[in-house]
Amino acid sequence: MRRSNAIGVGAAAASSLLLLFLVLPVVRLVAAAGPQGAARLWSDAELRQSLALTALTATAATLLAALGGAPLAWLLARRAFRGRALVAAVLDLPLLIPHPVAGIALLLLLGRGSAIGSSLLSLGLRIVGTPLGIIAAMLFVSAPLFVSGAREAFARVDVRLEGVARTLGDSPWRAFRRVTLPLAARGLIASGVVTWARAVSEFGAIVILAYNPKVVSVLAYDRFTGFGLSEALPVAAALVVLSLIPLTALRALRMGDERAVA
Amino acid sequence: MISAAALRARVGAFSLEDVSFDVPGGAYGVVIGPTGSGKTTLLEVISGLLPQTGGLLTLNGRDATREAADARGIGLVYQLGFLFPHLSVEQNVMYGATDAALANTIARRFGVDALYARSVRSLSGGERQLVALARALARRPGLLLLDEPFSALDPPRRAAARREVRAIHREWGLTTLHVTHDFAEAGSLGDVAVLLDAGRVLQSGEPADVFRHPKTPYVAEFLGAENIFAGGVTIEDGAAVFHSGRLAIHVAGAATAGPCHAIIRAEEILIARTSPAPSSARNQFEGAVTEIASVGPLWRVTIEVNGATLVAALTTYSANELALRIGDTAFFTFKATAVHLC
Repeated sequence: MRRSNAIGVGAAAASSLLLLFLVLPVVRLVAAAGPQGAARLWSDAELRQSLALTALTATAATLLAALGGAPLAWLLARRAFRGRALVAAVLDLPLLIPHPVAGIALLLLLGRGSAIGSSLLSLGLRIVGTPLGIIAAMLFVSAPLFVSGAREAFARVDVRLEGVARTLGDSPWRAFRRVTLPLAARGLIASGVVTWARAVSEFGAIVILAYNPKVVSVLAYDRFTGFGLSEALPVAAALVVLSLIPLTALRALRMGDERAVA
Repeated sequence: MISAAALRARVGAFSLEDVSFDVPGGAYGVVIGPTGSGKTTLLEVISGLLPQTGGLLTLNGRDATREAADARGIGLVYQLGFLFPHLSVEQNVMYGATDAALANTIARRFGVDALYARSVRSLSGGERQLVALARALARRPGLLLLDEPFSALDPPRRAAARREVRAIHREWGLTTLHVTHDFAEAGSLGDVAVLLDAGRVLQSGEPADVFRHPKTPYVAEFLGAENIFAGGVTIEDGAAVFHSGRLAIHVAGAATAGPCHAIIRAEEILIARTSPAPSSARNQFEGAVTEIASVGPLWRVTIEVNGATLVAALTTYSANELALRIGDTAFFTFKATAVHLC
């Protein structure tokens, strides 16, 4: 009994240290610059534009991730096909490589010197240094998170529920729409929220592909290198607050889930 | 009707192999088999939810081998119900219904209409099974497949639900295939029994015939026969006698000499405390009682005879009247016609 208590106390102490390490810098940052950041929202037009740009591009990247990611997640959850393990491994790739490297890779693929980049340019679509570049960078680093979460959401829906719907006269698509989708909806929304949060916080890939126009993470870096810590702090605090919005939404969603299960 | 001819299917490492049986139109078929024998897989293949890899499946006269699940007109009820958790009980019942009045009537017959406003998550296991039954029947399917549909119900509600299913089956002439572990259920409900093990049909036919004349000792043992002996038949003075060690049993009919198994159901054996008067029963044994056990409403009495054990079943009333104790001498009697050779 005494031994298990000691293990519990040791685990709690180690956990507390890690949690403090994770929370303290963010709390310190918001405490130091939160009010100043809020005030800057009125006076700093560049920060306002940057926040709007970040939110819009992250939303676009999330929608694209959902559009392509949901069918892929469904395939991975429901169909056994040759190369499924390879597809899953490929999806992990963007999460494993350093994000500036991801930016360089995207630059090679979509830059004006590349076949795709020049083709897009001929269509009037410039990727590098535009919101499209930001969306591409955000999509690259965050889409795997959506696929992974959505795959789990689909896998959690028992396939026999779909089977019963089929025997009750539903076509595969109708069973998906009436049973699978509503039951996976919370998981899909949660995956979307995580994807959006990841897109908002991206810096490494964006800074290579589209330094301008500046998303908030790039603006914070720009202010830090150009004007020092005091100018970077309010921007950084604003980015933290922006990131907290989806986290709060996700928490509320999970609490709703727990209430539904209880 | 359901007709499976050499049906094959594979799910992971498990496979159904050459499954063949017929449930005529309007009949009630019962599938019996141990856990993992492929009973649920068989229902899913018939429903079109699992692909068959071979054989021919005919449903109500149509070749359904390549028919989509939603076109087969089958009502499927799983043991766990698999109700849609995001819908209310009423929405579940109405899910596939085309006639709301009929759906409501079915719900009333199973007592499910009283649960209409309830969330599926708040239902007990038994209530879920009743809602699943109502949901499957509410669309008036052409065939009904039941996978242990009464297992979570308490005895009175189980009897009521069983009666209701049987009544609907008769009223609609609804061909039904019912998976169960319960031999009593199989005997009381079924017109056709299909015995499944390890993905293969061991025997099929009328339940009484399958129970009384199992094709193999394994089938007999699975169906609860307790007196199974390995040995052989010899013809003595024109009569067939089965020998197993020092045990000799008279056998009726045109038995041929050779090795085989003899099966005597415990219910076919009479027990007496004193030597019975001469009768037409050809087999009489005297032995010491080695075991007395209560099994549900019956008692099982075991005696040792010539190095073999024989088990007889008797009612509680008879057991009280005989007042047998371990070590007592008892006399077991059964007719030659009660011996089944396989």
